[in-house]
Amino acid sequence: MAQKTTTKLDEVAARYPDVPRLIILKTDVQRRGVFYSDAAIGILDERLHQTTGTHIFGSRDGALTLRPESLLLRDGSSIITTPTPPEEAPYTVDLKDGKPWLFDDGVALEAVDYWPAPDFYSKTSSSGVPMKSIVSARPQRLNIFPYRYCTFWNNNKGCAFCDIVSQLKKGGKELNIPAKLDPREVGEVVGEALKEPGRFSAVFLTSGSIVSGTEPFDDEIDYYIQILQEVGKHFKASKFPSQIIGTAFTKKQLQRLYKETGLMSYTSDIEVLNEELFGKLCPGKAEWIGYREWKKRLVEAVDVFGPGRVNTGLVAGIELTKPYGFAAENEALEHTLAEAEDLAKQGVSTVFIVWSPRPDTPLGDQKNASLDYYIRLARGLHALRVKYRLPIGYDDYRHCGNHPDSDLSRLLPY
Amino acid sequence: MSLLSQELIDLIRNRSVIKVLVTLDEQGAPYAVRSPFLQIGDTDELVHLELLEKSETNRNLLRSLWHEKKIVISVGDLVIRGRPVKAHISGPLFRQYYEQVRTVIPDADLSTVWLIEPEEVVDESYTIRKQQEEEQFPFSVHLDRLTV
Repeated sequence: MAQKTTTKLDEVAARYPDVPRLIILKTDVQRRGVFYSDAAIGILDERLHQTTGTHIFGSRDGALTLRPESLLLRDGSSIITTPTPPEEAPYTVDLKDGKPWLFDDGVALEAVDYWPAPDFYSKTSSSGVPMKSIVSARPQRLNIFPYRYCTFWNNNKGCAFCDIVSQLKKGGKELNIPAKLDPREVGEVVGEALKEPGRFSAVFLTSGSIVSGTEPFDDEIDYYIQILQEVGKHFKASKFPSQIIGTAFTKKQLQRLYKETGLMSYTSDIEVLNEELFGKLCPGKAEWIGYREWKKRLVEAVDVFGPGRVNTGLVAGIELTKPYGFAAENEALEHTLAEAEDLAKQGVSTVFIVWSPRPDTPLGDQKNASLDYYIRLARGLHALRVKYRLPIGYDDYRHCGNHPDSDLSRLLPY
Repeated sequence: MSLLSQELIDLIRNRSVIKVLVTLDEQGAPYAVRSPFLQIGDTDELVHLELLEKSETNRNLLRSLWHEKKIVISVGDLVIRGRPVKAHISGPLFRQYYEQVRTVIPDADLSTVWLIEPEEVVDESYTIRKQQEEEQFPFSVHLDRLTV
């Protein structure tokens, strides 16, 4: 029998000749997940490669074990991988001629690299904590996850796709990751990380929402400011390339965040662009802020951070989940892009991640959308950036790597 | 067998020889720039160091990689046709070139280390091309050159 040489990916790629095959592949790997073979794990070397361990969110197989953190493709972009059990038919990372490749159904598709380990991963902080447990890395980004809890879960109103709290319980026990970081220690680790030439081009900060404070979320703002001020001590200029994913703050809170820190861009994830679904799937966000107010605050953030420095993120695919979601992908796409355009024309960009159903979540037993859906969504969001001339350099392949739509925007001159 | 002759290797290594990289933009129009750091990599691929992320050349190289379009590099009288096969933005190889660039231009940044696989080398030196032309196309010669 002849060896198979084509896959379903080729069929989809043929329908979208304007979309690079690498982006279609990346999207599908995120959609279906990956399984690392024993041989692929066998070449993992913690001195050379980043290994899993510091994620704020969990994996699709629910396991915490030594695996490559994620993959680099030959166009320099990343695939943020979600290890997935083989019975769910994920892509496989296995070896070909001794090097890691992505396989689908036995067909070798692309050579990949494991993310390189940064120098600071081998060091410990002055308090004796491994530095990689305080700050983690992507190929060009320093990740700070200062608070691994989300207070929306206090009354069980966390987002229906989110496993931050169950991951904290696992990570806290098995990986000894502190739930809340000491800002001075974060500053110390960032200072050490920045000694590596040519490694990092952005500082990134995200945590769960903190509802407490004189006004709701003031405590979250205060904490971010403390951390960013410690980080800022390492830079000559008052502003440095940086991104925060935070709650939708009031304009007054955002002005403090901007004025008192070196922060240069702001992201606040609305998760789903539909008011009814937002209420059902993100009940904590709906309770404390609400869909319309969330959008309003995103737009107000443009006044603070400037055009092309504010965006929102979607967990794409949850809009199609039962029982509340859209019944048809066309309808979901049309509605989502119309809402994204409403934001885009007011200076707010929208990016998406492919929803990866996680076992410890209310939506964990459902499927994500079709590959066609994700490709059409990527094209649609990219087209809005072209139409409204919105730069996305703070959330692109270098700084995040998790958005097929912003990968497309790499070709834009702005 | 390597496509890179010793003559070509010597030209690439000669810093006084200007190297020109030609890419295609979205409309298919050529765009030519100098590639001052052009060098030969560990496995005979050509290494172009792109300092600027949003340069026309960087975006064109990405388009070539994504959509399998060829590029051209001119070194002295030699023309190399090839294609970009990999973009390094992180890791030991990137760091090596990042440090190299900064020894030459202290405040420089480096966007991407492009690996370019040569597919064909054409010798465009006049004496060689003239001989080929006269052998293969004898009817294009001006007759006054052939008179006694």
